[in-house]
Amino acid sequence: MSTNRDRNETWRKSGETLRATALGSWRGLIFWLLLVGLLALYPYSGVSSLTLFIGSQIFVLVTLASNWNLIGGMTGYVDFGHAVFFGIGAYVMGIAVTRSPLLISPEWSFWQALPLSGVAAAMFALLIGLPTLRLKGPYFSIAMLGTFVATREVVRVLRPLTGGGVGLNLPPVLNRLGDYYLMLGIMGLVVTMMWWIRRSEFGQSLIAIREDEIGAEMRGINTTLHKIIAFMIAAFFSGLVGGFWAWQNTFIDPDVVFIEARTVEMVMMSMLGGLGTVWGPPLGAVVIYLLQDLVWRNLFGAHLLALGVLLVLLVIFLPEGILGSFGKRSNIARHFTASIAQLLGRLGRGERT
Amino acid sequence: MNDKPLLEGRTVSKYFGGLAAVQQVEFAVYPGEIIGLVGPNGSGKTTLFDCLSCLQKIDSGQIVFKGQDVTHMRPYQVARMGLARTFQVIRLYRKMTVLENMLISHQWRDRSIFQMLQPSTADTERRAYERLDFLQIAHLADEQAGHLSGGQRRLLEIGMALMPDPDILLLDEATSGVNPTLIETIKDRIRALHAQGKTFLLIEHNINFIVDLCSRVYVLNHGEKLAEGSPQEIMENEAVIDAYFGS
Repeated sequence: MSTNRDRNETWRKSGETLRATALGSWRGLIFWLLLVGLLALYPYSGVSSLTLFIGSQIFVLVTLASNWNLIGGMTGYVDFGHAVFFGIGAYVMGIAVTRSPLLISPEWSFWQALPLSGVAAAMFALLIGLPTLRLKGPYFSIAMLGTFVATREVVRVLRPLTGGGVGLNLPPVLNRLGDYYLMLGIMGLVVTMMWWIRRSEFGQSLIAIREDEIGAEMRGINTTLHKIIAFMIAAFFSGLVGGFWAWQNTFIDPDVVFIEARTVEMVMMSMLGGLGTVWGPPLGAVVIYLLQDLVWRNLFGAHLLALGVLLVLLVIFLPEGILGSFGKRSNIARHFTASIAQLLGRLGRGERT
Repeated sequence: MNDKPLLEGRTVSKYFGGLAAVQQVEFAVYPGEIIGLVGPNGSGKTTLFDCLSCLQKIDSGQIVFKGQDVTHMRPYQVARMGLARTFQVIRLYRKMTVLENMLISHQWRDRSIFQMLQPSTADTERRAYERLDFLQIAHLADEQAGHLSGGQRRLLEIGMALMPDPDILLLDEATSGVNPTLIETIKDRIRALHAQGKTFLLIEHNINFIVDLCSRVYVLNHGEKLAEGSPQEIMENEAVIDAYFGS
């Protein structure tokens, strides 16, 4: 039995580390809010409308990656069909603003349709999540991929409502500045929310489910409910982003909305940044966007190959992502610096390598 | 001793395909008891545990906890009613720290959504440290659970089971893979908790452990109840000796 003094010592120390962790976590949020503030001021520096467009596209990617990370990274349910929620959001927007929803004229405005995009996606997540979230590991992943493909076909067939393969033309309203701010707002909100969830008991319970679902259930966590809530939150914001994207793109058809590459991108961004972390997916999204831009420009025609190779290298060398590896003062980084030092030492002594 | 059982299994049967893992077992644990559950490998001890904690749905019979039929409840519901257990194959949240493992295992009954959206409270933290201290692993609080040794993991799992302040603890082979000194510690802690009024149900292969702690012992063989009685009676029971060592 430890003495009282020992105990007080343990107490004091642990209190300190906890406070330090809490402080570190607040520091991250403050940094994030500052960044969002700076991005809000950015358009005042006289940037082109193309830059604003690119900005809003990056915000879309950051938001999607964060959403995917909530279910795929924190809860550990690797969703290979998450783009289905994006697609549903896009189609709800398209249908609401071009046709008369519920047969009530006139067509809805963008602002009326946007929340509906999110709500529809969340409802779909509830319906599909109840059966699929019972599945574990690869079975869940495949079931979601199936859901994704099936939904695309349903959209193609429901011609009177969705326009089928011809697609839908949305009213062209060009407002790059407005788009930029709207998407910045959504992104700011989503990432802040992820930060909040991650440090809450709810977020911890999601990690517990990922680490050992039976253990979590046996210790009083209603795993079904928590999984469904996480799934619905992720779907809601992916649907919202889909609605926004349809509006900004002014044209949707099954082949531009329901593309597998969108899910693959979300997975890559989360993994590169660090699965299950708050700041990893946003970081991963930006890095992947820049890399894509780079290979697209320099290796056009082989850019998909290059991205594929990148994904393989990523899984081999950075299985825990940028943040996961640096957070632990990665062995890789240490190994790398040690090897370089050794090499330099040898060269310095005039040895052959 | 109270007359009403705290946890009761009435003619519990569980089949895996054609294999009867648990067959017509009558089982009762009264408040304040320490009960041992023994039997050769594959005799259905862990399956019975899974049935009692609602992790496995039983094929026939009834599970009653605190006078309430819990047969069709989900594990989290019986956990919230005051049943906690550990596992033969330890279940921890490996990538979380020891402290985080403890914090997330608090009592979820009456937890509002608003509370769930907050970080763990200072009170939960205090309780976690008290229990870690009690199990003498407080110095490992910031260590990742996946990095602990086998014995330390057992202690952490017991700590997690203690977090919600349960009425009954089901410990599945709490001493396997644990060094003899640590076994004494676990024994000591169980006695202390028993003195505080906790009820225990232990699966054990370590007969000394059972003899030292338990007031009554159930013996399972081939999924059926072979014998029931005080540790002394069980040790002298011919059928039990046959089952363990062969005739």
